[in-house]
Amino acid sequence: MSADLEPIYLDYAATTPVDGRVAERMREVQDRFYFNPSSNHFAGRRSAAVVDAAAGQLARLLNADPAEFLWTSGATESNNLAIIGAAKQRQHSGRHLVTLRTEHKAVVDVFRALEKQGFEVSWLEPDPDGRLPPERFQAALREDTQLASIMQTNNETGVVQDIQSLGAISRSRGVVFHVDGAQSVGKMPVDMAALPVDLMSITAHKLYGPKGVGALYVANGTAIEAQMFGGGQQRRLRPGTLPVDLIAGFGEAAAVAATRLEDDLTRLAALKAQLLEGIRDLDGLYVNGPEHDAYPGILNVGIEDVEGESLLLALEPLCVATGSACNSQSQEPSYVLRALGRSDIQAQSAIRFSLGRQTTREEIERAVSLYRGAVAKLRDLAPARTA
Amino acid sequence: MIVDPYNSRVREYFTNPMHCGDVAGGAIGYFEDQGIRLRLSAAIDGDTITRLRFHAWGCPHTIAAAEATCRRFEGGAAAELEDFETGQIMKDLAVPIEKTGRILVLEDTVRSLGQAIRDLTDT
Repeated sequence: MSADLEPIYLDYAATTPVDGRVAERMREVQDRFYFNPSSNHFAGRRSAAVVDAAAGQLARLLNADPAEFLWTSGATESNNLAIIGAAKQRQHSGRHLVTLRTEHKAVVDVFRALEKQGFEVSWLEPDPDGRLPPERFQAALREDTQLASIMQTNNETGVVQDIQSLGAISRSRGVVFHVDGAQSVGKMPVDMAALPVDLMSITAHKLYGPKGVGALYVANGTAIEAQMFGGGQQRRLRPGTLPVDLIAGFGEAAAVAATRLEDDLTRLAALKAQLLEGIRDLDGLYVNGPEHDAYPGILNVGIEDVEGESLLLALEPLCVATGSACNSQSQEPSYVLRALGRSDIQAQSAIRFSLGRQTTREEIERAVSLYRGAVAKLRDLAPARTA
Repeated sequence: MIVDPYNSRVREYFTNPMHCGDVAGGAIGYFEDQGIRLRLSAAIDGDTITRLRFHAWGCPHTIAAAEATCRRFEGGAAAELEDFETGQIMKDLAVPIEKTGRILVLEDTVRSLGQAIRDLTDT
């Protein structure tokens, strides 16, 4: 792509730009509160107060107790700490774990690692629209099940799981329930006081905060085993000097999100409808995941007889994803879409558009035009199946 | 670090595939394998390939390789099709090693075209 070509960014599920208020807060903290929050002097206590304030902002967004958060480097670390930490904490009572086939790699690979350590994992199949029926989840739980992990919003399709029902089932069976909330927190209402969830992974950079900081919600009374050692910070569960500026930015991002959740959702729904209406009539087009009742910031579409890698290149300067960004170096078809019943070729042609606060109607118009043009070009290039 | 998987030549050929199309009534080479489909068609005058066109379904490297092949052989002698070298295409287009099979499909298509031209000139 030409260096001077302006990208049209529709990959907000991969990451979001840092909100101006977040950047301003981080700069202020870098200048005035660079002290180690674990230091005993008064300046260190000022930094600790900044961290506490950020925990309060995050707690208000999620209707939780500020003491229920551990700061981490992001959702991947939170997932590792939650899943491995809970599985090992409870392994003397049982070694059976439950998760969904369409989880993010940052969850799938953790469970695979636990399988190699002797844990038994039940990998649940979703329905073709990506949803996990609560009765299927219930049937998978056994006497020796210790932990279940189900994501709230899928990063590839936007399908939203029924966390309320799944959590209630977990609670009734005494199974620790972990939720990967990387794509939901700050993007849709999440009320931890109402949700029967024990552990939730959160990251700042998906909600217009900085990269490199996240949190793990640990409900009061939930025990996990530490996975890192080297200091007494954060109840010895996650040692290391806290990045005060990143945490302050995370808190500010949560505060901004709390003020505009409903407006964001309304606006994104209108933009998603505009996008889908603009391409729906294309021959062979289909939506991956549910068309309704999904997170409105994500639209995943496939199209028959168009090659995915060429489609992505032909769409430039549109920045979208095939599969998930974490998987983008791989030429393998998306395992998430394969689990929904798509063929390799169908999965490979899938494009995930993910919209965000800065997305405009004009950008959607341009995206529609580029997608239609790219499909037409590649179909013109393609030969008939026989000579 | 993720680097751009396409060099400038792949981008140019993919963006401007000026040899995309068909030669009506021409000799045809066609192959379908490795998840790609390739078709070459050529007009011949004596021993000269006067027009060479392609259709391709596949990744950007596949499309660029088909365009590069047309640019290389159009205007030349049909016998030169025998000189097709996968190594040169792989090098010019910086084709990743895992896509070698696709360039071999192009080689099969070029050979199939060469055979079709011979069949046409023999009759």
